[in-house]
Amino acid sequence: MSLEVLTYPFLFVAIFFEVFLLVTFLSAPAKTRRAQTLSTKTPNIAIIVPCWNEEHTIKGTVDSLLALDYPQENLTIVLVDDGSTDGTAKVMDTFIGTPQVTVIHKENGGKHSAVNLGIEMSPQAEFVGCLDADSFVAPDALREIIGYFDDPKVGAVTAAMSVHEPKLWIEKMQHADYIHGITLRHVISSLNGLYVTPGPFSFYRRDMILSVGGFHKGHNTEDLEMALRMQRAGFLIENAPRARVYTKTPKSIPALIKQRTRWTTGFLRNVIYDYNDMIGNPKFGTLGIIMLPLGLLANVSGILMFVVIIAQFIINIVKRYTITSGVPLSYTLMPHFTEFSWFYVPLTALLVLSVFTLTCGVAIMLLGKKISKTPGDLFIGIVTYLFLYGFIAPFWLIRSAYDLFTGTRRAWR
Amino acid sequence: MSILNRNIIISFVITVVLISTVVYAINYLNQKRVAELSTIENQLSTETLSVETQYALLENAPCENFTQGSSTEDTLLSQEVSDIGDKLSYTEDKLGIKDPQVVQLKNQYTLLEIRDYILTQQLAKTCHLNPTVVLYFYTNSGECKDTCDRASYALSYLRQTYPSIRVYSFDYNLNLGALKTLEQVEKIQPQFPAFVINHKQYYGFTNLTDFQKNFPASLFATSTAATSTKATKK
Repeated sequence: MSLEVLTYPFLFVAIFFEVFLLVTFLSAPAKTRRAQTLSTKTPNIAIIVPCWNEEHTIKGTVDSLLALDYPQENLTIVLVDDGSTDGTAKVMDTFIGTPQVTVIHKENGGKHSAVNLGIEMSPQAEFVGCLDADSFVAPDALREIIGYFDDPKVGAVTAAMSVHEPKLWIEKMQHADYIHGITLRHVISSLNGLYVTPGPFSFYRRDMILSVGGFHKGHNTEDLEMALRMQRAGFLIENAPRARVYTKTPKSIPALIKQRTRWTTGFLRNVIYDYNDMIGNPKFGTLGIIMLPLGLLANVSGILMFVVIIAQFIINIVKRYTITSGVPLSYTLMPHFTEFSWFYVPLTALLVLSVFTLTCGVAIMLLGKKISKTPGDLFIGIVTYLFLYGFIAPFWLIRSAYDLFTGTRRAWR
Repeated sequence: MSILNRNIIISFVITVVLISTVVYAINYLNQKRVAELSTIENQLSTETLSVETQYALLENAPCENFTQGSSTEDTLLSQEVSDIGDKLSYTEDKLGIKDPQVVQLKNQYTLLEIRDYILTQQLAKTCHLNPTVVLYFYTNSGECKDTCDRASYALSYLRQTYPSIRVYSFDYNLNLGALKTLEQVEKIQPQFPAFVINHKQYYGFTNLTDFQKNFPASLFATSTAATSTKATKK
């Protein structure tokens, strides 16, 4: 039996999920959300910017918040320095005196503690938002978000993330991945299936956060843990697909693997250790039936398919070497085509279905770019994503599985 | 029914239909390959009859018409046999060695090879020619898989490098009366790979250098014109 056979069940699930995304994209709940207009309401808002060693980006982050299209009297920006050891505190202090900005310095206690302190210091706010100190927002992003809170069951609203000024190939590849995520979040949120409220520009109903007990460390993924806790408590998590926020991303493969390992391990630990009652549970709808089971399966399949491809590659190389050894290399390397004929077109079901899966992935990216109106070119991002992402991702999946099984705890950075 | 359940059912149905369609289409393509092979096979049967007739007509003709290494190869089953061999080998990889249609085509192909071999022998005897003919017996079973693959590759190399070598490859386990008779006539033992090189049996394959020692030394000093069948396993 060929090793390839092992990949068929996972390919089936991958195709099913992509079809599910596209079918749901065309369903009424998603259409309604895409038709939503900018809100004219201006409730009291606090945006918390937790900071740890972000001296190079914090100024740009705050400047983008100050440029938000929102009444100044109803918007407070709370900068929380979580014991930075670089020049972050100094940069933050330059905003002291700016009417909308509050600057707080504290000892290092983790991102969740910085956000909790910011929430505590914003008693006037009806809604609180978070923005990582390496992210920048579009001026209309807040107005795009705030309308979703008209439904009192909505506990949080997430934004449409993409990469800030991607220049390197690895940034462009991540940009394509984030754009894919825009469609994913938009579609899945329409059926309340989100399991993470990302650090870049997610907003919460303040009394909801307090009622569920504030942010926890959450295995170094406090945003994911909070989302799961909200879902368990029965709150809805929405997504505003046109609320654009741009974030800085790792510029090297090791840094990317490190970041994604933290995300993946956080997902696995939260779901398996603390929220396993939600897996496959119809009570939690899309999250319980689709997102959590398939999220876990995606980790397994990512590793398995990578191992199968590598194993098959090695087997083919060894077999080829064994067969051709002793025969002059000049003959082996010489092309031996007799004719070009459709007869020899190497079409297999696995190949066709794999191409279909990738094509769907590209379609989902293009939809993400369109619905979010994210500017910029996506071509190189898509190409690098298609050809390289699948060979890099398994490394953080394998590393995460290792950390999970061995109990290894790694530093945030 | 909730939108979630409805979308799950719709997506599942679409996925099943999609995958079924792709599998069906690929299977259909493979069947078309077999159909093309059958078409070519029919053409070759006609051609074989034509060649036999040609030989019968030329039986009393001067042997100068069959100088070794030139017109003999051109008048016998030529490049088309080689092409169908390639296609048959490719189809066997796709459909598997036990596919009934593949087995049937291999039977027909084997008959063509045997017929060509007999004609070559008759011509050599009549005209006192001395071609280097290799009968290669392999098996697809596990006992010879790797060694037979290596032997096939080495034979392909020799055939392409020294075009005067004529190679006929046979699947030993094919249940074909003519092949069994050939195996008996050539006294082939069930040890693989097995070779008959200019009527002398050899068994096993270690490496190309040792294998070449079984051929006439003069063969590697010169090289002649085109040849016929390939050494790839069919």
